Amino acid sequence: MTAPAASPPTRSTAPLVISVKDLQVHFKVKTGVVHAVDGVSFDVRDGETLGLVGETGCGKTVTARSFLRLVKTPPGIYAGGRIDFWSGDARRSGAGPVDLLRVPDREMLAIRGDRIAMIFQDPAKALNPSMSIGDQVAEVLYQHRSDDLVDDQPEHVPRMLRRASRQLTTGPERLALRLPPWRKRASRLRRRGDELVAAALAETQIANPRKIMDRYPHELSGGMKQRVMIAQALACNPDLLIADEPTTALDVTVQARILELIADLQRRHGTSVLYISHDLSLVRQMCDRVAVMYAGRIVETGNTRTVFSDPLHPYTRGLMAAVPSASQKRGELLAIEGNVPELIDPPASCRFHTRCGFAVALCEQADPELLEIRHGHGVACLAYASAGKLGVPNAALPLVDGSTR
Amino acid sequence: MQIREYILRRLMILPLIVVGTSIIVFGLSRVGGNPIAIYLEHEMTPAEVAEIEERYGLNDPLPVQYLAWAGGVITGDMGWSAVSAQPVTEALIDRVGATLELAIFAAVVAITLGIGLGTFGGARRDRWPDHLTRIFSISGASMPIFWFAILLLILFWVNLGWVSIGRSDPIVFASIAHPTGLYTVDAILAGSLTALIDALRYMALPATTLGFGATAIIARMMRSSLVEELNEDYVDAARAKGLPERLVLRRHARRNALIPTVTVIGLGFGFLLQGTVVVEIIFRWPGLGRWMADAVLRGDQATIMGYVLFTSVLFLTVNLIVDVMYAYLDRRVVLGA
Amino acid sequence: MAVRVRRLADVAREVLRNPTTVAGLVIIVMLLAIAILAPVLTTPNVPDPYQMPRDWTMRDAPPGTPGHPLGTTSTGGDVFYGVLWGARTSLQLSVIVVSITVTVGVIVGSLAGFIGGRLDEILMRVVDVFLAIPELIFALAIAAVLGPSFNNIIFALSVVFWVKYARIIRGQIIHIKQNDYVDAARVTGDSKFSIYRKDVLPNSITPVMVQATMDMGGIVLTAATLSFIGLAEAGLAEWGVLVSDGQAGISAGKWWASTFPGMMVFLWALAFNLVGDGLRDVLDPRTERR
Repeated sequence: MTAPAASPPTRSTAPLVISVKDLQVHFKVKTGVVHAVDGVSFDVRDGETLGLVGETGCGKTVTARSFLRLVKTPPGIYAGGRIDFWSGDARRSGAGPVDLLRVPDREMLAIRGDRIAMIFQDPAKALNPSMSIGDQVAEVLYQHRSDDLVDDQPEHVPRMLRRASRQLTTGPERLALRLPPWRKRASRLRRRGDELVAAALAETQIANPRKIMDRYPHELSGGMKQRVMIAQALACNPDLLIADEPTTALDVTVQARILELIADLQRRHGTSVLYISHDLSLVRQMCDRVAVMYAGRIVETGNTRTVFSDPLHPYTRGLMAAVPSASQKRGELLAIEGNVPELIDPPASCRFHTRCGFAVALCEQADPELLEIRHGHGVACLAYASAGKLGVPNAALPLVDGSTR
Repeated sequence: MQIREYILRRLMILPLIVVGTSIIVFGLSRVGGNPIAIYLEHEMTPAEVAEIEERYGLNDPLPVQYLAWAGGVITGDMGWSAVSAQPVTEALIDRVGATLELAIFAAVVAITLGIGLGTFGGARRDRWPDHLTRIFSISGASMPIFWFAILLLILFWVNLGWVSIGRSDPIVFASIAHPTGLYTVDAILAGSLTALIDALRYMALPATTLGFGATAIIARMMRSSLVEELNEDYVDAARAKGLPERLVLRRHARRNALIPTVTVIGLGFGFLLQGTVVVEIIFRWPGLGRWMADAVLRGDQATIMGYVLFTSVLFLTVNLIVDVMYAYLDRRVVLGA
Repeated sequence: MAVRVRRLADVAREVLRNPTTVAGLVIIVMLLAIAILAPVLTTPNVPDPYQMPRDWTMRDAPPGTPGHPLGTTSTGGDVFYGVLWGARTSLQLSVIVVSITVTVGVIVGSLAGFIGGRLDEILMRVVDVFLAIPELIFALAIAAVLGPSFNNIIFALSVVFWVKYARIIRGQIIHIKQNDYVDAARVTGDSKFSIYRKDVLPNSITPVMVQATMDMGGIVLTAATLSFIGLAEAGLAEWGVLVSDGQAGISAGKWWASTFPGMMVFLWALAFNLVGDGLRDVLDPRTERR
């Protein structure tokens, strides 16, 4: 339905980490089927940061969640498309990608938290309130790095200890691990685990990791909690980090430091980041490339600098206009009139035409595809459709006289 | 720190409620009927009645009577239990073991089964295990204990002959010492397997009957709080870490769902306590409940007063413990707010 | 007003979508039919139809005996008669007790919530004290000191069951008091009473309705338990009394005199609990916790 966006000029040589093709995620509700994500395609390349921007309800979070297959089914339905993922190992060994929508559950579990990690919007809700910070960070390490924990040769490690290294022991086993034959090795295991956890926390510039480990989430500030989330996400050094509005729930003063931290860690580890936000100024600051989402579709994609200096889609232009200058408070995308349309069984028309100042009759009848206008800069708007490949705006349509530029 | 404050506050309110309860209990005996009714006989002359009334201070003003009674209660004198022909306090001590043992067993059954069922249903929301759990818990809340007990007796006692009624085989019971009054504990202390089996065999049916209602309450609460917890972000975050579903449920969702479930355990204990009256009647269990039932039928006011006061203090204490546990478990509540 | 009516219709439709709720409603209708038609289906006993007719020549007759479709008790009482008239007894009992307790509870709760201050403090401590004694034991003690009679059971239950309503109403008032829109209403000059009528009552009706529905079942259950213990008049056409009458016979294999009336108590409580549960799911799913 939609063509995949071309890669940006700057990093076109970097290998792919993620390639989303025509992703469709629907939700069955009483009154019909909501097309929450309806034919989304984009790529993320090694080491780059892609920003996915759009208003609340445009499908960006659903897109991100489907990477880890976290969309609840039912009511969700993975209706189509594929998400190809090249892990670091796959790239090095030259193996092909796996389709995240179709890998077996067992493999998915191995990818989650290890190869692809996620930071949630509200750290206060995403941390388990009744579990200590140390245990929560340890969990992801124990799950994926248990071999690092058992210092003996892996094949000689008794099963029970192995289970302990995954925090799987219950009742009698846990008791047994406190008794002489196991005790020493079990406590060594625990010490080693604690070291790794402390190291992961220290990565996020938490001052006193050992002390924090015994704390519970409600005892920490919002920024601290988000640091813990980040430590947790990066503990296994993933290939891709999904950051779903990681600073929205935080104080403005803390936001900047968290963003710096993410950027810094990304630089040092070479992690690719999918950055989801409704905040354009953040995206501009954080991302190499940006994809603008509207009503379940990507309407514009390209190099951050290009898109910001020369936005093509009327929606993107609206967003830009809504961003206040630096001295003002950060803009939420409220200045465009109207709301995102209901996505229940949408008709074949441009999704934006109800709010578009440049809409013509044709916009109600045809569904524009995402076309590459210039090198690496794609837009889904009929105004560019006829002249698309040439990169020359269609003079017949009013949009293109560039009055907003 | 704040937990201690909370406990202190609760402990300070507790005596007030106990005093209130004692006033109600006392009021019942004076307003509702004649506290010495059980001692009066038809052939007594009015002069004789008046003499008894005088002896028991029934002509004093009510507050004086109350204080006299309350003073007695505090010093352990709760009057004379006519139905068991011994002081109320003594009768209470003699019987409390049997009732507590029954209630504790039923509670253990109810808590384990309730939490298990609730988890089973809640984790499979809106599928048939969930519907079955729902039907089970509503049935449990609607089940008349006396009828359920009789149905079980018809099946296991009359038709199958697997159990007998009563608390024990008298010969086995007499063969061991009873330092704690809890038959099972005494059996273990005496090292008598025969006695332990005897105790469990007699206990099985009454404990099941008694625990049914409480199981239902706990299962229902567990189910709904688990459903709620499963919608929380941290559950998805746990999944995003790569934990298998089993661990997500056990380590994350269930642990948090247990916290609100603790609150209904106190409520469930009330259910158990009041259930003992009926269960003890039907299974001829020599505990407080049957004692109370006898007293009720014969109008033995001292016994009724003693029983109600004792039961409510027990109920209050259990609820206090439960609330403290809750405050301790839910760090958000006490320390956060 | 139109909005309100439509909402009711919506609620009704949604309630009816739940099969277990519908099952509960069907059972309730059947039980009500039995209660209403009891005098038609059996010959009322004279002089008091609420007393079981006794046929001393037909004691312990098994079900299916001509003239006694569900058998007789050890004193020759007709179980069929008891089961049918028991429904009538239960209906009267539950309607009386629910009306009394809802009224008392709403009044006490409103006073506590609205006047607040010291009165609230005192009333709520009273509520605490009432809640400190398990329901059944409290009712048992009250009925016991008053002496065995069904009217005393009604009285005892009324004394015990109002507490929850008072709590619901008070909680609702306090909650609404904290909301800004009541301040807004005050600013616009609405009186306390009109706030109460417009905001508090409509918001409290749902939980009260759910509680009342469940209590319709719970009251019959508790009353039957009390009369099973022996606090109703002997020979009353009431389910608990019948189960108690039949209890002695079960060791001899005479199961019917206890089984049928006990099943009626179960059905009665089950039906109202199912409907109450369904109502709660639809009306305020968030109060599902207790």
